[in-house]
Amino acid sequence: MTGTDSVTTMRSPRPIVSSPSGSRPTGTTRARRRPPASDRRLAFALPAAALLAALAVWPLLVLGRMSVGAVTGATLNREWEFAGLANYAQLLADPDFAKIVLNTGAFVVIVTALGMAGGFAAAVSVWSGTKGGGFLLGMMVFVWALPPVINGSIWKFLLADHGLVNESLRALGLGAGGVGFLYDPKLALWSVALVNAWAVIPFNALIFRAALLSIDESVLEAAEVDGARPRHRVRYIFLPHVRPTATVLTVLTIVYAFRSFDFIYVMTAGGPGTASTTLPYLAYVEAFQRLDYGAGAATALLSLVVVVVFALVYARDVRRNEEVL
Amino acid sequence: MKHTRLRPLAGLTAGIAVAALALSGCAGGGDDDSGGGPVTLTVWHYYNTDGQVATLEAMAKNFTDAHPDVKVDYQYIPVEQMTTKAVTAAGAKTGPDVIIFGASGTYDLSQSGAIEPMEWFEDFDGADQFPDGAMQRIDGTLYGVQGFVNLLGLWYNSDMMAELGIDAPPATIDELEEDMAKAVAAGKQGITLTGKPGLESQWQGFPWFTSHGFDYADAQAEPMAETYAMLQDWVDAGYLSKEATTWDQTVPFQQFAAGSALFAVNGNWQIAAAQEAGFEYGVAPLPISDEGGVLLGGEVQNIGAFSKNKELAQDYLESTFFSTEGELELLKGFGAIPTRSDAASASEIGDDPILSVFAQIVQSQGRPSPSPAVPSANVNAVEGLVGDFWSKAIAQEGTPDQLADDLMTQLLPLLEN
Repeated sequence: MTGTDSVTTMRSPRPIVSSPSGSRPTGTTRARRRPPASDRRLAFALPAAALLAALAVWPLLVLGRMSVGAVTGATLNREWEFAGLANYAQLLADPDFAKIVLNTGAFVVIVTALGMAGGFAAAVSVWSGTKGGGFLLGMMVFVWALPPVINGSIWKFLLADHGLVNESLRALGLGAGGVGFLYDPKLALWSVALVNAWAVIPFNALIFRAALLSIDESVLEAAEVDGARPRHRVRYIFLPHVRPTATVLTVLTIVYAFRSFDFIYVMTAGGPGTASTTLPYLAYVEAFQRLDYGAGAATALLSLVVVVVFALVYARDVRRNEEVL
Repeated sequence: MKHTRLRPLAGLTAGIAVAALALSGCAGGGDDDSGGGPVTLTVWHYYNTDGQVATLEAMAKNFTDAHPDVKVDYQYIPVEQMTTKAVTAAGAKTGPDVIIFGASGTYDLSQSGAIEPMEWFEDFDGADQFPDGAMQRIDGTLYGVQGFVNLLGLWYNSDMMAELGIDAPPATIDELEEDMAKAVAAGKQGITLTGKPGLESQWQGFPWFTSHGFDYADAQAEPMAETYAMLQDWVDAGYLSKEATTWDQTVPFQQFAAGSALFAVNGNWQIAAAQEAGFEYGVAPLPISDEGGVLLGGEVQNIGAFSKNKELAQDYLESTFFSTEGELELLKGFGAIPTRSDAASASEIGDDPILSVFAQIVQSQGRPSPSPAVPSANVNAVEGLVGDFWSKAIAQEGTPDQLADDLMTQLLPLLEN
């Protein structure tokens, strides 16, 4: 090992992968003229970094500035008057704020729990590759591809007072007066969350299925020889195998659930009153219905903080998985 | 007026910030017609029914027949995006030649520079035909004119009334409740109306809470509590479905037109939809007290501040939305009540059993919208808040007194100038 090799090794634990020039013989003229490998990699990243800065970082900075400004439809095009934390104080002083935060939490829990469990169950159902499984897979892709506005409108129709669900319940002698899925303040949030979970199941199922398909056939054959029944296969082979996938998918589903807006917009408009309003929906109402962009930005930024926390968890898990591989 | 200078950087920043809040589409604008060739007149609107679009096209044809070198380009903008889009477009110093917008957006559009004072309207030949209630002014300056108004009335199912032994539509809330009780006993709904959170419900609720004595100029909890109690009684008695909290103004009329309800609180724009009903129907003024009023809604028209064809845009408005013929065309296609006195007295209205009632309601119950007592800067916040509580009341999210007190806690600071 040369002295240069030692230095390279100290700089990176994986010299062959992360530093291709690390093994290049040193002392040649060409090597001395070329910039270090890390500098070249940075140059390659510049266009992406510039795009990211222009389309993500800069708008976020502006959003942050807006959240501490008195910005409305009337003042949007003027110099924004600094308002300190007034927008945040106004948000916290809103009598419905605590309820809206709880709504958001409950919504995320339902969508994530049902989305993950349903996704895994659906993946196991279609894993076998039978005709029925193929049909189910096709239906799931169809549901996944359906625009949320259409999806939500269909469910709004189904859950209406005289929709299919309530009429079926009446036919079965259950709830003659109908169930107020979308207008009972105690049920509206749960109904929208259930529909939202239903909509995310296909995506999760497809990801879980991809993970299940990577299981070594010999492992399954060995289990079968050992007398493992289907439930044992799920418990001792499938579940451990999809655990890394599930970790990442959980984070993605939480983020999806947290920023959900379209189903609430279409099905309940956050109501009745504010019974099914979540933080992202509140940000929409403040910014685009009441034209109070400052308050909307403060709410959006608060929501964003939560999403960023989960995004960091996601990034850490992805990095950890890559290191394992 | 303070802070009226537009800054290019501030405009750019504003656009980026709004895009960050929601990817709500880019802000387009009128074409640059400085070169040769036909001139394109861009009109932003939010009309989307077949009848409305056909009426706009018919008006455009009349206009282009007189101006062969002009093409009218109607651009549909969803109603909830109109103000934001016009404001962000103004930040980029662009926008339409003509803008047709909701009255609640007048303040924001004027202060953001998206529209300018309509000084030219004073010189318009037919200006004296327009009542003051059709003028949208901010601090005394005219920023928009309504070529027509929309308003609420009580639609009734005449056939069902006859079956239930009801001779005439109700004139008081007590009579209304008696009639609804008969409908419910016969297995029908009493009334349909909107209870969706937001601005629409403020408009829907205004006649009822003003009927109980509420006034934005002296806001008190008690009239609101009485209104909420009335609503909750209706829900408990089965006159009104709680499902109204998910209905906009279209769905409840569909329910009425399907023959499932005795009454519908809805607007004149439903005239075409009513014709599809398989029963005889009529319209009466809402059975509210003398204190109550009905907001005169409808869209406002003005020229875009960054129009490159301002004279042409003015000509377009004067010969369409502000002309007698144009308003009668709108009456036919939109069911909209003309604001010009000569158009309002036309036989097309007087001879029509539905339109004549709406014209009468304008006179007897009409109130300017937005309510003058609401500070212009807080119109959207006030109307959104009051609409949300209307929705909460129908959903029985609290007792009438609790809801009224909670509303006042949030409303009173917004009503202070």
